[in-house]
Formats: sequence, structure tokens, C-alpha cells
Amino acid sequence: MTVLEVRNLQKSFGSIKAVKDISFSVHAGEVFTIIGPNGAGKTTTLEMIEGLVSPDNGVIHFGDLDWNKHAVSIKKKIGVQPQSSAMFDLLTPEENLNLFASFYDDARPTEEILEIVSLTEHRKNHVKKLSGGQRQRLAIGLALISDPQIIFLDEPTTGLDPQARRNIWDIILHLKELGKTTILTTHYMEEAEKLSDRVCIVDQGNVITLDTPSALIEKLTDEREIRMSFLDGEKAAEDADRFSKELESVSKTEREGAALKIWASKPEETLLDLFKFTKENSYGVEQVSIREMSLEDVFIAFTGKEWRD
Amino acid sequence: MCLLHLRAKNGGINIKFNQFKMMFLAQLKLTLREKQAWFWGIFFPVILMVIFMVIFSGNSDEEFKTEVAIVDPSPNPASEMMLSQISGLPVFEVKSGKPVTRDKAEEWVKEQEVDAAIILPETAEESSVFLVVNKENEQGAAAQAVSGILDKFVQQANLLAAGASPKYDLQYESITSGTNELDYTDFLLTGMIALSIAQGGMFGMVDLVEMRRKGLIKRLRMTPANMGIFGLSDMAMRLLFSIVQIVLLSLIGVLVFGANLYINPFTLIIIFLIGALSFNALGYFFSSFSKTTEAYMGVANICSFLMMFLSGVFFPIETMPEWIQPISAVLPLTYFADGLRESMVYEAGIATASLWAGIAVMVIWGAVTFLLGSVLYKRKAIAADR
Ligand SMILES: Nc1ncnc2c1ncn2[C@@H]1O[C@H](COP(=O)(O)OP(=O)(O)OP(=O)(O)O)[C@@H](O)[C@H]1O
Ligand SMILES: [Mg+2]
Repeated sequence: MTVLEVRNLQKSFGSIKAVKDISFSVHAGEVFTIIGPNGAGKTTTLEMIEGLVSPDNGVIHFGDLDWNKHAVSIKKKIGVQPQSSAMFDLLTPEENLNLFASFYDDARPTEEILEIVSLTEHRKNHVKKLSGGQRQRLAIGLALISDPQIIFLDEPTTGLDPQARRNIWDIILHLKELGKTTILTTHYMEEAEKLSDRVCIVDQGNVITLDTPSALIEKLTDEREIRMSFLDGEKAAEDADRFSKELESVSKTEREGAALKIWASKPEETLLDLFKFTKENSYGVEQVSIREMSLEDVFIAFTGKEWRD
Repeated sequence: MCLLHLRAKNGGINIKFNQFKMMFLAQLKLTLREKQAWFWGIFFPVILMVIFMVIFSGNSDEEFKTEVAIVDPSPNPASEMMLSQISGLPVFEVKSGKPVTRDKAEEWVKEQEVDAAIILPETAEESSVFLVVNKENEQGAAAQAVSGILDKFVQQANLLAAGASPKYDLQYESITSGTNELDYTDFLLTGMIALSIAQGGMFGMVDLVEMRRKGLIKRLRMTPANMGIFGLSDMAMRLLFSIVQIVLLSLIGVLVFGANLYINPFTLIIIFLIGALSFNALGYFFSSFSKTTEAYMGVANICSFLMMFLSGVFFPIETMPEWIQPISAVLPLTYFADGLRESMVYEAGIATASLWAGIAVMVIWGAVTFLLGSVLYKRKAIAADR
């Protein structure tokens, strides 16, 4: 079931075309990730969907609700954690949550939210004194207070250490278990791969590609890069290089000293052949690996640009 | 069916009330926890008032000088005696040092070169001393002060005039007499109250700039929160803070410095509400075009500084150079301070023409700045600020 549909969104700020043409639809219960470099138009897209910025063009539907006619109903249905996690610094997490709860007819109990975002312990400290990760968790908590069906998280993990990031991942996975729909933006490919059901890669205001992470990677190519290095130095690498060039599934090789790179379409078979060869010649293998393709490669393949976090 | 409908409606009102309550409580906590608010709203006005009172009100009569003209139409023993005594009063500075003709004196009053002309009795039998003041200033502090002092003086003159029956009484020309005399302490106290409420309004709206900068306004707009209720709770909080200011400053003024207050509560409430609202509107206007807190504070500082000295907070406007006085006449603080004096010291009823004129000036300031601010906010809301 589609809970949100976005078609041909466009938005310019003066001469800057922040969003050129973005369309997608989000299914109930999935984690939908929008990933892209700085200035790609992620926040602008979300803000149009959240009703903060009016699009120059395009349509936004929440099921059969749209902003022109059902603004209040939509506001009750969605929970938002904006990129600049805005909250009252001189109030405590508990007070912030209670205040936001008063905006809704049927908010969830504050204690429950504090529990979900693991802030029970800090509920009486001023927000000013919270750490970045705690603050971010409170921002997510504020988005959850109305028990929304659809949750928007704009870069919830940017600037956090690995531990804090993992905390937030747990929250997102927990929301998924509860059957919520989450729309997430991030800079981290790893995060997108790990959390999302589907990933939408955007760059310069356009959707580059959209699919499940594994489908995207598979779509990319069926070749894998095998790396191998030898204990017996250049001689062994040279021999192995010559040998692998003969193999059918190998398209290309590269050698640097005792290290060898081999691109093969059937990496398992190629590896077997290679090990047979090294055993026959009694060459010692120091290291061997098959490099995993990642979303990063997808990005590079589609844009021809280097990926920067 | 009907019942159900009613319940739903009730629910709506309950939610709104709950929202108001929660927002008000949040504002209250924010204010209590904001050290700046305490310093500028409470501590600073108190210190400023104490300093001024200690410096200037020790011997208030001497410090308060006002320039008068004296007319002695036909010198007689009684008028001679009064003349010498009035000239001896340190508060009065007699222009040109000696009596002048009535025409000359009235001209000076008209030109506002003197605050009042004192016309001495023409014969020893006549029992009236006339006081001529400029109509524009008849409610002014100087006119009030002159009449207050003369009133006292005439009583003394009566005693001196040997006869047991009171002989002289003060008559006013074109002034309505204040029933109570204005002491510098009272003057400063009411001025300080006006100033601190005005500053509360002009500086307080910096919160709005800060909230916008942090994206909090945007954040609230993402929720179904009613922004009207938010504004209302904010206003209620500010009024409460101003009431604390009034009570605290009045208590210090009365208990420590012996100020005399004769309050007309109805007039006071009207003046207080209108003044507080219009200065908040002014702050709202500043916030609508200030991108940063620094920019806002700059504007608020300049305005508050100008008003502080041009609106008769510390010294009567009549004592300032003439060319400045027209500026004072358009500033809202002038009328707020005057209004508070009328209602807190003179116990004035609301029906006075000059009070209404003052209220009108404040309402105009409030309405115009509020409308301008709203327009600017609307226009900026289109290009979302971040
Ligand atoms: N209010 C605005 N006024 C002017 N330009 C804007 C505004 N908002 C966004 N932009 C511009 O639009 C483009 C897209 O910005 P956006 O914030 O949507 O990117 P983003 O993908 O969220 O980037 P980041 O990863 O850095 O958060 C940028 O070039 C930005 O400078
Ligand atoms: Mg962004």
C-alpha cells in the first residue's frame, strides 16, 4: 500500500534549482532512504512533503489527503525530525515532550517516548546540557510523540560517533517493527544499506536511481574484484597473472609488485582455479579477498563522480 | 447525536485550553531560567532607580528647578512680600530676575520659555494668586510641580498674613489642578516603571528572533499547534512579567524611598495594558526584520536609549532644550510615563482628555508597528528561512 506519493517535484530559490524533478512513492511499513551529497536537495524535498515549503510544481499525496485541503489531518499523521533539531534548550526533555504532546488530541505518554529514545535517565536535565546524540534522540522523540504513521528523519545520524549512530539505528529498526513508515535522509551509504528497504539516490535535484539496496548493487554489474597477494614475491604474482588471463571468466587484471587484482564474472570459480594453481606451484598466498560492491559504487557508476561523505 | 456533537466541541476547547496552559507554563519556565531576562527585566531597572533616587532625591526641592515669570501688576505690600519669598524659593528661577508685564509673561508661557507665570494680587485685599501655564503642558510635570509648590507656599503666606482667616488661595488659569503634589521620588518611580515595561516589550521579543534562528518557529509549524494560542500565551507571560516589575518597583519606591502613590486602579490597568501591548508590538516589529539577535539588540538598544532620555523618564520634558521637545511629543514612552503618573500619583480618572490623547498615541504606535511586523513576517514566510 502506498502511503505517500510524490510526483515531479520542483523547487527553485532564486536562480538555484534546488529540486529539479523528483518522484517516488513510499509503501506502508518500509524504511525509505533518500541519499545524496550536500546540496542534493534532500532537505528541500522533505520540507515540501512536510508542508513547510510550497513546491513550484508537482504533486504530493498522503493516501487521499493533500496539503491544500487536509493540512491539519496530515500534520496529525506525520512526525518530523528536521535537520536542525529545533527544541527548547532551557526546558528538559520531559518538558519538551509534554509541551509537544499538548498539540495533539491523542499523544503517547511521555515516559513511553523517553523509553524508546533511551532518555529516561536524562529526562530532567536541560536540553542545553545534552550531548549531540542525546539531543538527536530527543528530536526523534519529539517526532514520535503524536504516534504518527509516517516519520520523517532528516539526517538523524550526521555528526554522531559510531556508538551514538548505532543507537539511532536501533530506534529506526524498532519503529519498523512497530509497523511505522520511515523516510530517512543520510550521507552514509553504509547506513542506507543497513536500514533501508528501498534507497533513492538523488544528486543535483534529480533522482538518480531507486530500488532495494541489493537490487541496486546487482544491477550495477555481475563482475567482482578479487585481490590477492603472494608471499613469494613478484615472480609468483607474475605467474598467477599470466595464469588468470587464460581463464574464461576473467576480463581484466592489474598487478603491482606482489599484489594482484583480478576482475571476474564468476568469482567463486576463478578463486578455485587460482588456488589450484598456487597449490600446484606451491606459492604461498598472503592475503585474498573479494571486494564487495556497495552503494558507493552505484553512486559512482551512475554519476561518474567520486562519493564524498 | 446532539450530545455527541457537544462533547466533540468541548473536547476542542479543552485541547485549546490545555495547549494554552502548557505553552504558558513553558514560557514561564523559559523566562525563569533565562538569566538575561532577570537581569534586564528586574535587576537592572531596580538598580537604575535606586541610583537615580539616591543621587537626585535627597533634597528633591532643590534639584527640581523650574523657570517662572512673575507679574506684579500693581505693587502693594502683600505682593511685595510674596515676590521676595517666591524669589527666595530655590525651586523657582525667576526669568530676568524681576517682575515683568502680564503680556510679556504670557508671551513667554506661550513660547514655552517659562513653565508658568505667577500673577501676584493687585491689592492687599485681593486674595488670589493666578498661575498661567501653557495649555499644552498643563498636565506636564513642571506645571504640576509649580502648582504644588505654590499651593504650599500660599498656605504659608496665609499664615504669615497675620489675619487668622485664610487670605490667599491659589487660582489656576487654564489648568486643572492635580490633587496631589509630585515629588521627584514619585516622578522617577513612575518613570522607571514605564521604562522597564517599555524595555521589556522592546527587548523581550528577541526570543522570537532566537526561536526563528534555531528553527523552532518552523518546528512548531510542523505540528498542529495553534500559533495564535502560542502568541497569546507569550503575551500573557509578558504581561505577568510586567506586573511583577510594577509591583516590585512600587514596593521599593514606597518602602525604601517614601514615594507617595495614589492609584486609580481602573486607569492604571487601561494605561498598563495599552502601554505594554504597544511596546510589545514595537518589539515584534523589530523582530520581523532582524535576522540575528545582535541586529535585533542593536535596534532595540538605540530605540530604548533614545526614549529613555527623550521621554521624561528621569527628568521632566520641560527641562529639556526646546528643540528636543517636539521629538518627545511623538514618542510613545512619553505618554506611557505620563499615563502612569496620572494613574499612580494623581489618581486621575480615565476621562481626562490628555490621557486619551496619550492612549491614542500609544495605540497608533502599537497598531502600526504590529501591522508592519505582520506584513514583514508574511512576506518572509514565503521564502522559508532556515
Ligand atoms: N531557503 C533557501 N534559500 C536559498 N537557497 C536554498 C534554500 N534552501 C535550500 N537552498 C539551496 O538548495 C540546494 C539544496 O539544498 P538542500 O538543503 O535541500 O540540500 P540537502 O540535500 O539537504 O543538503 P545537505 O546534505 O547539506 O543537508 C542547495 O544548493 C541550497 O543552497
Ligand atoms: Mg539537508
